[in-house]
Amino acid sequence: MRDAPPHSVYRQSSVTEADDQAERKFIERLAQRDERAFNELVELYEARVFRLLLRMMGRRDEAEDMAQEVFVQIFKAIATFRGDSKLSTWIYRVSVNLCKNRMKYLSRRHTDGEDELEPVAERAPLDEAKGVTFGDVPAPDRVVEGYQMERVVQICISELEPDFREVLILRDVEDLSYEELSEITGLPDGTVKSRLHRARAMLKSSVERRMGEKIR
Amino acid sequence: MSDPGDEKLDASETPQEPEESLRSMLRGALREEGPAPDVLAGVQKKIRERSGGKFYADGWSTAKHPPLNTYLITSLLMLAVLGISYALLSPMVGSPEPVRNQPAPVQLIPAK
Repeated sequence: MRDAPPHSVYRQSSVTEADDQAERKFIERLAQRDERAFNELVELYEARVFRLLLRMMGRRDEAEDMAQEVFVQIFKAIATFRGDSKLSTWIYRVSVNLCKNRMKYLSRRHTDGEDELEPVAERAPLDEAKGVTFGDVPAPDRVVEGYQMERVVQICISELEPDFREVLILRDVEDLSYEELSEITGLPDGTVKSRLHRARAMLKSSVERRMGEKIR
Repeated sequence: MSDPGDEKLDASETPQEPEESLRSMLRGALREEGPAPDVLAGVQKKIRERSGGKFYADGWSTAKHPPLNTYLITSLLMLAVLGISYALLSPMVGSPEPVRNQPAPVQLIPAK
């Protein structure tokens, strides 16, 4: 079963007072180390946390391991959550910070396992083409082109610095607001916007360089 | 946490909403493939190990939902055991003997 996309959660939680009160009570139960409340929290957020981590890290096994670690850290630190932001924003912040630390650790150990870009034709045989980027494209060559583009974008994203990757994914994929980005990253609004602008520009030029054509 | 180069945002750098192609390209490349894994059991195991068994120590609290079927089956089994025990043991029990003792005579102390 697929979860509702994150943005709908945020839209929902332009919250009523009743929602706020329910969340406060839930947080109290968590702070009292109520194991059942914590089970509920994990079930509620595991898919979103996992997908964010997968997008940031690009590896399923790493993302799953990191998702477990995120919830363990949340269990340890929930008593320090002051309620200044929404619980979901705080969970995103914990996830992003742990993820960035892990990526730095992995890059120091040179174990991130990212392959060098192979010739795209070798990586994208037609029978493996699972999807395309620009809508439904019936022609086989366009399908391969779309698949190749996705592979190139994935590689270009993985080459972005974690700080840039973070804002790009949170804003353009997870659909979070600038305010939420600011809370998650701990950066001023202006810095977030500037970093996002640069991240988009870097990604675009990197993709164009690899594909040898302008993004339409 | 911020780079010095991040701080200044001139007019040309005002982040526009990205072109739709860039957004769809990103979303296409990072779309979900396959279901998200169930991490609860792993989280509970890690917490149990790191807390030295203080949290999630028993099997009941680690279940996702209360094990209602287990409670129900255990209750029914116990009732069955009690019923069988009663059926087996009740014929061995005799009826109680009536008490035939007469009450001791009462002597009243005469008033002085």
